[in-house]
Amino acid sequence: MKFFQSLAATLIVATLAALPAHSQNGLKDIPDTAVSAQLEAFQLIEGAKVNLFANEPAVANPTHMNWDSRGRLWVVSSPLYPHIKPGQEEQDKVVILEDTNGDGVADKSIDFATNLHIPTAVLPGDGGAYIANSIEVLFLKDTDGDDVADERQVVLSGFGTEDTHHLLHTFKWGPEGMIWMNQSIYIHTHLETPYGIRRLLGGGMWHYRPETQRSDVFMKGLINPWGHAFDEWGQSFLTDGAGSQGINFVFPRSVFATSPGASRILKGLNPGQPKHCGAEFLTGRHLPDDLKGLIAAPDFRGSRINLFKLTDNGSAYTSSQVPDLISSKHRAFRPIDIKMGPDGAIYVADWYNPIIQHGEVDFRDSRRDQKHGRIWRITFDDQDTLPIEDLSQLDEKALAGKLNAPEALTRQLALTEMRNRDPKAVLPAVANLSVPDGVDPDLVALRKVWASQTLNQFDEKAAVALLDSKNHKARAAALRAIYYRAADNDEALAIASKAIADPHPQVRLWAVSVLAQLDVKETVTTAMKAIDGVELDEFLDFALWSICREHSDRWVADAQEKNPFSSTRQLLFAVRAINKPVAVDQILSALESGEISSDQEVTDIADWISKTGSPENLNNLFVHTLKENASPAHQKAILTTLASAGRIRKIQPTGDKNRLNQFLDSKNDVIFSEAATLAGLWKLESARPGLQSAFLAAAENQGRAEATLNGLISLGGPPTAKLFDSEAKSETSTFLIKSLAVRGRTRMNPAAGATLAVEVLQNAPDGKDPHGIYAAFLATKQGPGALAKALTNAKLPQPIALVGVQKASSAATKPEGLVKALQKAADLKPMKMALSDTEMESMMEAVAKSGDPHNGEKVYRRASMQCLVCHAIGGAGGVIGPDLVSIGSSAPVDYLIDSLLQPNMKIKEGYHTTLVTLKNGDSFAGAIAREDDNELVVRDATGKENRIPKADIASNNISPVSLMPPGLTAQLREDEFVDLVAFLAQLGKDGDFKTPPNRYVRQWQSLMPHERTRDAIGHYGHQIFTEDIKTYQWIPFFAKVTGGVPIPEMPKVVGRGRNRYGVARTFVDVSKAGPVRFKISGKLNDLILLHGENKIELPADVSEAEITLEVKKPGRQKITVSGLNGFGLDDVKVEVLDDAGTVQFIDVKEF
Amino acid sequence: MKPISLRITLWCLALSHAALAYGAEPILKSGDRVALVGNTVIERARLSGQLEAALQLAAGPEVKNISIRNLGWSGDSVFGDSRSYFGPPQEGRERLVSIVSEIKPQVIFLCYGTGAAMSVDQGWTDEPIHKEPSASGMEGSLATFSQGYQEKIDRLRSAAGGSLREIVLVSPPPLENLGEPLPDQTENNARLAIFRDRIKQLATDNQLSFVDWFAALGGDDFNGEVASPALTNNGLHYSKSGYQILGRELVKGLGYGETSTIANDETPELVASIIEKNRLFFHRWRPANETYLFLFRKHEQGQNAKEIPMFDPLIAEQEKNIEAARQKVFAGQPKN
Repeated sequence: MKFFQSLAATLIVATLAALPAHSQNGLKDIPDTAVSAQLEAFQLIEGAKVNLFANEPAVANPTHMNWDSRGRLWVVSSPLYPHIKPGQEEQDKVVILEDTNGDGVADKSIDFATNLHIPTAVLPGDGGAYIANSIEVLFLKDTDGDDVADERQVVLSGFGTEDTHHLLHTFKWGPEGMIWMNQSIYIHTHLETPYGIRRLLGGGMWHYRPETQRSDVFMKGLINPWGHAFDEWGQSFLTDGAGSQGINFVFPRSVFATSPGASRILKGLNPGQPKHCGAEFLTGRHLPDDLKGLIAAPDFRGSRINLFKLTDNGSAYTSSQVPDLISSKHRAFRPIDIKMGPDGAIYVADWYNPIIQHGEVDFRDSRRDQKHGRIWRITFDDQDTLPIEDLSQLDEKALAGKLNAPEALTRQLALTEMRNRDPKAVLPAVANLSVPDGVDPDLVALRKVWASQTLNQFDEKAAVALLDSKNHKARAAALRAIYYRAADNDEALAIASKAIADPHPQVRLWAVSVLAQLDVKETVTTAMKAIDGVELDEFLDFALWSICREHSDRWVADAQEKNPFSSTRQLLFAVRAINKPVAVDQILSALESGEISSDQEVTDIADWISKTGSPENLNNLFVHTLKENASPAHQKAILTTLASAGRIRKIQPTGDKNRLNQFLDSKNDVIFSEAATLAGLWKLESARPGLQSAFLAAAENQGRAEATLNGLISLGGPPTAKLFDSEAKSETSTFLIKSLAVRGRTRMNPAAGATLAVEVLQNAPDGKDPHGIYAAFLATKQGPGALAKALTNAKLPQPIALVGVQKASSAATKPEGLVKALQKAADLKPMKMALSDTEMESMMEAVAKSGDPHNGEKVYRRASMQCLVCHAIGGAGGVIGPDLVSIGSSAPVDYLIDSLLQPNMKIKEGYHTTLVTLKNGDSFAGAIAREDDNELVVRDATGKENRIPKADIASNNISPVSLMPPGLTAQLREDEFVDLVAFLAQLGKDGDFKTPPNRYVRQWQSLMPHERTRDAIGHYGHQIFTEDIKTYQWIPFFAKVTGGVPIPEMPKVVGRGRNRYGVARTFVDVSKAGPVRFKISGKLNDLILLHGENKIELPADVSEAEITLEVKKPGRQKITVSGLNGFGLDDVKVEVLDDAGTVQFIDVKEF
Repeated sequence: MKPISLRITLWCLALSHAALAYGAEPILKSGDRVALVGNTVIERARLSGQLEAALQLAAGPEVKNISIRNLGWSGDSVFGDSRSYFGPPQEGRERLVSIVSEIKPQVIFLCYGTGAAMSVDQGWTDEPIHKEPSASGMEGSLATFSQGYQEKIDRLRSAAGGSLREIVLVSPPPLENLGEPLPDQTENNARLAIFRDRIKQLATDNQLSFVDWFAALGGDDFNGEVASPALTNNGLHYSKSGYQILGRELVKGLGYGETSTIANDETPELVASIIEKNRLFFHRWRPANETYLFLFRKHEQGQNAKEIPMFDPLIAEQEKNIEAARQKVFAGQPKN
């Protein structure tokens, strides 16, 4: 009977669901919903096993969970997500799950609340539970003992709801007894608090103390900061569901990616890592030793849980990924929260859904699961689990004893339970806490401080005493404890003044954070002492930069008179931080006298003066370059910044500018180029002859040619026009010069440029446009129309027209007329972009049946496809588009097909194109990289950063056009397209296309063929590949998903006879001298490995070898691999065996 | 809590207000659309329904089908800070103007000032030219507030169009001291009094009605004592019983005198339908997922925006329930 009922129900649903055909297609993808199907699909780390703790109907689509002090798990679920339907009740719920008999399975569940609207966090405590309920934080309480909430109070309201997967989330009790809460990128929050208005626009983290009702912003930015974990010493680490930077170390006032208006941001500790939801330190007696202290981060896209190991590094940390805790082939396994349990086991909330979000997939897509949800429990064979204790039954002494539990959860629940007790009874018990064997007494002292804060009875004396600890972590933690109420603390300045000179940079970081809270005059002059005596890393540098700006009113007026800091170096740091012309004379005279002379400092001064200085100041710099003994590095730095002052601020040095001409004779390409640009900006008529002959002589030297082009355009007038006209038409000019002449003419007059362009494009070698003719037309208002008109009766070869169609179709200005004109000129049929429902269905079937993901990866890696230029996979590749590391496990196949064919259809958050139009009609499209008062920096589709003067901007809009050009796949045969989709669809799923956690070197450069190699290799051997030959051209080269480097795909470098080599090099940063361990695998017989200039012997006839490099001097190490192409040479893998504390990868852009 | 003599003075004030209104047209008429605009105190009023219930009952049995729209937004400023999403406060002002011109209310209640008065030193708006003045202490902050409020009044008047009869300025209610560890609000109340005076002046200058919640709830007599019983949860945000009193004082201030004394606890149906109507209207005018439905990602999920107007018939249904419930109350049969 029951069978028939459910069958009938299925039939009705199937009949009613009138959905587009292709969203039904995907139903084939729906995984088996049985618990057993999920259990079979798990792969676990050695020694671990998994069991089901709870599932539907008690939990359905869980979004977050936390334990109470009685050992019960509170889970909040939201089948309402992503959007309430008209007429639908607000019925999302919080359930309390309890394992009463200790068998590891919840046998009791109570619906605590059933009337919520897309709740995204639950935190039991204070006799009830705090719940994130869209715009508000609720405190729900049961007053009659049935564990069902009967009191409901809004405690905070004004959180944004602009996107329901960005809602306020990640509630957590801090060790100091505050509630920590995060919000994501699209959320704009406005709180009215008893202390005034608090706003947070964009992502970031709040803390809130219920008893004082004080809420404050702790840090800003990150896209989806869905995980927050405190380490043993109370430092905060966040994960991000979209940021691809792994673990993020955050501190007060730190700012991360996408924070609106940020002029500087910090990065996470694992660039290129998968994206995460949840974060938890693994602690406690039940766990194997090698897992203790790791931080676990669920990768919900890749259906796995990553593990990371943190290592101290300066004021912050490094983080290395180690093998996964658990992974699954089951596509609906979506681990979105992870918490250690009161029995010492690991608990995982599984949101259970084949579809993970609603930005790109329809709100009402029938494949969304709105019924299932699972809580999994991971245990280990070697150790028994712990008995679950009800801390509410303990007396104060026993409760205080729990502050020393080896399990972090027990310590935290003990603190939470203390909030229900009388502080007069709790505090004496805490005071008597003893120090267990093997535990740092200062850690116990810190726990006592935290207990006092948890009860809002902060024991400041105890915190101050910890500042004398031998352990820098205790000193940093003491400052963090003082930080929260530093503004009311008369001793805070004295405390910070001492700590600012601490030998450890992390203590200094917290001293700066304390200073930033104070309302006294000396904050910045005190803080700046932190730059002396330690290495200034990015995090400490950021904190100092931030306080210089936030507290500028405390020091700027003084600095106008005389240097208020202890050194000119400190003054330079401060004035650069505020980016204002303060104390310019003092700095310039230090430059003049030679007090400041390092290349870095001179570059810093030049950069700052160019952004803020007066024409007289620019002249001071200019004079510096003209000195007889001026170093080329100083000249280059200063000329570059003079050019940006001219472009961005439209100011020039006072005095005779003809002095510039001497640099037009320079053999140094960079100095010449900057001088040529300046000659144009300064309208230096005397430079015209020099520029003209340089332009004609540039032939194939693109750098010089581009610079002269800029100069000539700026000088303008009939002579320039005539030069461009004749060069574009000249039979002897190179294609580079012709292209540049067209571009130049177009800048001056689009119609005239268009007339020249047609013929040059008709004769473009290989049908390519490597020097940006189309881009020149697309960058001006009249350009597309002018080119379209010039094409009216012209013919173009199809390949070059296709290039134009692609470029124009991805232009933010949508020049449809030009697209049509190009299609007509080459007789191109409009590209078929959209598939009909039937076509989509058969395409999806072909992908499933015959798609070859291995071949698809080859297609993906083809240079002509340009995929790698913009998209990384696991950090290997460009940064213009989203990292595709787990796209296959997060996006349905029809979505992938649509996105390849119609890039504009779905655009990932954070990757929207901004179209900036200037008052003169020019436009720039791309992503906003950063901005300040004077300029906006836009990163375009080629990765180039364009600095745009704000004063020139007419409008600035988010464009509905993707930076990804449509038609990239038009060159593919259908089977290749199918393979490409099959490859993308496998990315992140268990198997060959899930990036392994091993630390493979993924970013390389490969050597382009060079005339020197054929002969030199015979004389000098492979060492020639390690030489700094200026004319060697190294291009970025990325490892495959597996980490393998396919040498046969590299440009062929010629050796003797028929020998052809693939040559790749990489750089890593090694923190200390000594041995560093690598593993290299591949056909070692045909490989040469070099460390610096030294050849490293590889064992013969094996396919894998562990090697040790002796590092004599810490810092950048160059590693070169050269492989002789031939039978059997395929992928080479180079794996770093040491963790990130010892060896850090360097981004290929910084090689 | 308050000395008797002060209570009498207040009572007289309320009576005299009513007396002033005597003979004048009642503020609420049949078929009126009423917009409640303000910051947190207005936004949270939608949850208890008490404020609207007071208005609905005060209007009396002859006046029918009043439709009230709560357009409050937590932490909002006179410049519309909270109402903007990805843009400057300007975007927030436009959003308010747009909804008001859609509703075309006959009566608009405006209640601003709490956040500004409490943040005179730290600033309370991101409106470019007013950001700094808003953080420049009492005088600059107050001047900025007045200017923004005047602009808001002017813009809402033209947005509402010809059907608008009345704009009522309501002063922010006072803050309470609830004792340690919550902060002492004595200073903030002194600031609020100054803001109240300025709001009253604005009402006079613009010939608008004015209701003094600050005085009516004892703000002028505040001497730092700990509230008992407390009407707020945290000194700032009113509880359900607090809203009952705010409702009573609002209608008194409008000249309805004692008609508002029917306790709302005796009108569960009315309050329940108001709360449900407010819940539905919230999803209608301030839906989640705006980014996808109406803003820069609408090319991806804008197709789902068609669901939003489907709340309209549901809201209309609840308004019928509200009218039926109040008529029951007037007929003396408050319970089923």
